[in-house]
Amino acid sequence: MEKLLNKLLDYKWWTMLVILLISAYFVFEMRQNTRMETNLDKYMPQDHPAFIYSDKAESWFNIKDGIIIAIENKKGIFNTQTLDTLKQLTKRFQKFPEIDKDDVTSLYTADNIIGTEDGMDVKRFFKRVPKSPEKLAELKKNVENNEMVFGRLVSTDETVTVIIAEIDDDVFSQEFYKKILKTAQASETDDIRIYVAGRPIVEGTMALLGPEDMKRMVPIVLLVIFIVLFITLRSFKGTLITLGVVFFSTIWAFGLMAAVNIPIYAVSTMIPVMLIAIGVADGIHLYSHLHTFIDHNPTASKKEAIQDMLQHMWKPVVMTSITTAVGFISLLTSQVYPVKYFGIFTAFGVMVAMAFSLVFLPAGIMIFGLPKARPIDPDEDKGGHSHSRIANNFAAAVIKYKYVSVIGTAVIIVLSVIGMQKIWINSSFLDKFEKDSDIVQTDNFINEHFGGTSTINLILDAEGKKDTFKNPDVLKLVDKMQKDVDSTLYVVGNTFSLADYINRMNKVMNADKEEFNTIPDSKNMIAQYLLLYEMSGDPENLNKVVDYDYEKLNVTFQLKSDNSKAINSALDVIHKYEDDFKKYGITMNYAGSGYKGLVFTDLILEGQIMSLILSLIIIIVLLSIMFRNIGIGLIGSVPIIITALISFGIMGFLGIPLNTTTALLSSIAIGIGIDYAVHFLEQYRHNASNTNDKLVAAQKTMAHSGKAIIYNAIVVIAGFLVLLFSVFPPNRELGALVSLNMFTSFVGTLTIMLVLLYMSNIYFKKKKKKITK
Amino acid sequence: MKTLKITLATAVILLAGGLANRMTAQQLTGREIIEKVYNLPTGEDQTSDLTMTLINKSGSERVRKIKQFTRDFGNVEKSIMFFTAPADVKNTSFMNWSYDSDKPDDQWIYLPALKKVKRISSDSKSDYFMGSDFTYDDLGDRKVDDDTHKLLREETIDGVDYYVVESIPKDEDYMYSKTVTWIRKDNFIGLKKEFYDEDGELLKILKIKKFEEISGFLVITHSEMENVQKNHRTKMELDNIKINTGISASKFTERMMMRGI
Repeated sequence: MEKLLNKLLDYKWWTMLVILLISAYFVFEMRQNTRMETNLDKYMPQDHPAFIYSDKAESWFNIKDGIIIAIENKKGIFNTQTLDTLKQLTKRFQKFPEIDKDDVTSLYTADNIIGTEDGMDVKRFFKRVPKSPEKLAELKKNVENNEMVFGRLVSTDETVTVIIAEIDDDVFSQEFYKKILKTAQASETDDIRIYVAGRPIVEGTMALLGPEDMKRMVPIVLLVIFIVLFITLRSFKGTLITLGVVFFSTIWAFGLMAAVNIPIYAVSTMIPVMLIAIGVADGIHLYSHLHTFIDHNPTASKKEAIQDMLQHMWKPVVMTSITTAVGFISLLTSQVYPVKYFGIFTAFGVMVAMAFSLVFLPAGIMIFGLPKARPIDPDEDKGGHSHSRIANNFAAAVIKYKYVSVIGTAVIIVLSVIGMQKIWINSSFLDKFEKDSDIVQTDNFINEHFGGTSTINLILDAEGKKDTFKNPDVLKLVDKMQKDVDSTLYVVGNTFSLADYINRMNKVMNADKEEFNTIPDSKNMIAQYLLLYEMSGDPENLNKVVDYDYEKLNVTFQLKSDNSKAINSALDVIHKYEDDFKKYGITMNYAGSGYKGLVFTDLILEGQIMSLILSLIIIIVLLSIMFRNIGIGLIGSVPIIITALISFGIMGFLGIPLNTTTALLSSIAIGIGIDYAVHFLEQYRHNASNTNDKLVAAQKTMAHSGKAIIYNAIVVIAGFLVLLFSVFPPNRELGALVSLNMFTSFVGTLTIMLVLLYMSNIYFKKKKKKITK
Repeated sequence: MKTLKITLATAVILLAGGLANRMTAQQLTGREIIEKVYNLPTGEDQTSDLTMTLINKSGSERVRKIKQFTRDFGNVEKSIMFFTAPADVKNTSFMNWSYDSDKPDDQWIYLPALKKVKRISSDSKSDYFMGSDFTYDDLGDRKVDDDTHKLLREETIDGVDYYVVESIPKDEDYMYSKTVTWIRKDNFIGLKKEFYDEDGELLKILKIKKFEEISGFLVITHSEMENVQKNHRTKMELDNIKINTGISASKFTERMMMRGI
């Protein structure tokens, strides 16, 4: 290995050329093939039972996410101008090529079924916009008396009315959104305000906003890292070369992705984040060694210096890279494809970064020259055994007050475990936006006036038993459950099912008397109402709530929040009815994007925890093999464990929920934590072999690896703190947590791990025996 | 006259008695062809058993059996239908009076479980008939001059000669932007009809699967309408057709609705 690396030094230009050519190829591939995947359904594992059922149910009942266009007139909506705006907008949206005409619902499209003394009247609420005060008053009365519309299409304070346009999953694009906004805003007047909301908009905007924000922030992050790296490395060339390693490994990772035709998912934007954090580490450690060498040997030639660097450093660089890569590869256990891809390509990037550190970096130094030496005065008193006074003092202090570290660590672990109890999982998309952003504000506005912008669909399935949902007892149970959920939970603003149609028909057929707003006792009556509805109303409406054989029912719950706490609170109440439905042979299932989001988040977390444990075990094993000592394996894993614990603990205390982004961060804890540990351990072993004094080994290691680790931590922390200024809250969390993880990793490595190393007497046991004999 | 027309099966497209003029001395215009279709003789009254099968996109079926009576009273056409299956809607009845004038139809429904006859008023002619793929309009007489007709071409399919006529509604807001009808040259039955939606895209296809000569009238007994956009189909099959049996005017009353067949 070493020989090969040294040989390559002679072909420095060729090495550079080959790397550049391959990079150029990957850049070409990226230009050709890179595409963003914004359809969140594509993120979900299609073969998971919950998703299979949900997809089926979505097609049975034509369940789609709706864009909500709210028209507000503070003076009330029952005037010619507002109603005309409603009509015109409804028609305009019906004409959108992306929207199916029948999927647009508003007061203009809705049927009003009302009971009269001698019969039933089925009419559109209005076709021509009413102009006379009488006609307007009549419309107002009709709306107020129809609870299938009042509170659903028109707010109960009568200042807002909505148009709901349901779209397919793959329709949303930024252009489409802009087109809708433009159409909507064109109709605004002094009195009329128009808002656009709904899950497709939230999902679509989020899928675009995150990566977009990343694109804006990453260059700034790189700039800051560049500056800090320049200060620590004392070399412009060195900084460029180190960042080159990061830059090219990122290009290779994304280039390979493009070459094998895998789109960029939201989580993929984490790949450069990981590679920045990990890639600079190798460079810093290599340069740190190089500096130490030339400071001690100012007269050495370029080649001698590099050869010494490679000789001492190739092993830890390879070891850290392999352990890190293995940590990411453990993500393959996830059921979620974007996470698997994230794992594979980050691992690939890490290995590429390793190769570049050992090939590209030395070639770069050969071409651009060594950094300047700062010769050391060997006679100066450094208060210890290494060339650095700070390192000597620090190492001595850590060892002297070793119980501070031990007790401190214990306290932190306890606190973290307490904090972890408070951790909650959040699959919400809305929560990822700023509280004062348009999207959140509009959503709040609509939630204030209507049932809610988020939906869950409960699918009651009699599993083939026809006409189950014509049974009055079953429908009464459904009705009871709906009312229960609706009244117990503030967050549930509305519920809707076949029961509402039957209630309404019963009332209508009994001269609109409120006491008949119930489910009748006879099955035939229900069947006849249904037939009547089909004959007089729009039968398509029924297809959305019940299947053809009346053995599957779709109950819709509208929620004022899409966060997991809200969804779970509704599911808890619904679940109380599980046994009651079971008596009729009915099972409960769920469908819709809100529910899928919830399951999806659980899957990610489950996979994340699995892979966390798995990678921890693999890393302990790998370390034990590399250092031929189980004790080292265990000690080396301590910083990682602490980092992960603190990370989760702090999230718990600060109320940062686990979501797809924050969960993946535990990978970084491992990836980085292990780097620090391996470099430190390898150096310690090297130093221990030359001395009998544990303190000497500790001080020398601190001066060499310790310094590099601190530099590394400072560089990356500085870089990621930049993300705190991001406009996209998840990216801010990312910046804060990566910085935190870097910090705890480095502190953990330099304190408790050193203490444990010292106390365990590893590498000194045999020597001691020799001495005592 | 809406519902009656199911019996007679989709009048626009239908019927030419066997007596239809088979010889065309000169080339007919599109309008003349449609006029011939429109003017085909029908009986004064008709009794039949209708089986309506709705088939949704996943292949599930809803089958409804209806006994129906219709009679033309000159300025008004009255029809009454009794559901015989499925069992839970048995004896539900529906009566419709359709006027030649612009007066909207009068409709009544009787629900046996409710034991009351109720008037239904509906303002929408484009509503689908009983959840089927036929709208009331598809089933009703569409007046010849509601549309502009154009003979597109003549075609021979399986040895049968057809006129292919395109009809474009004069009312721009009508639910269809155009229809294209394949009309048999020998008897002026429209055997196939395509309906195009407001955006000019194919929406539905009507196919006449079977027609019979009964009491000297040609009656379509088996037709199928498919909504190609929704993937939904409706089959209409007629049995036990009797024409001109002299159904009494007292058949078409609320009392008869409640009494049942």
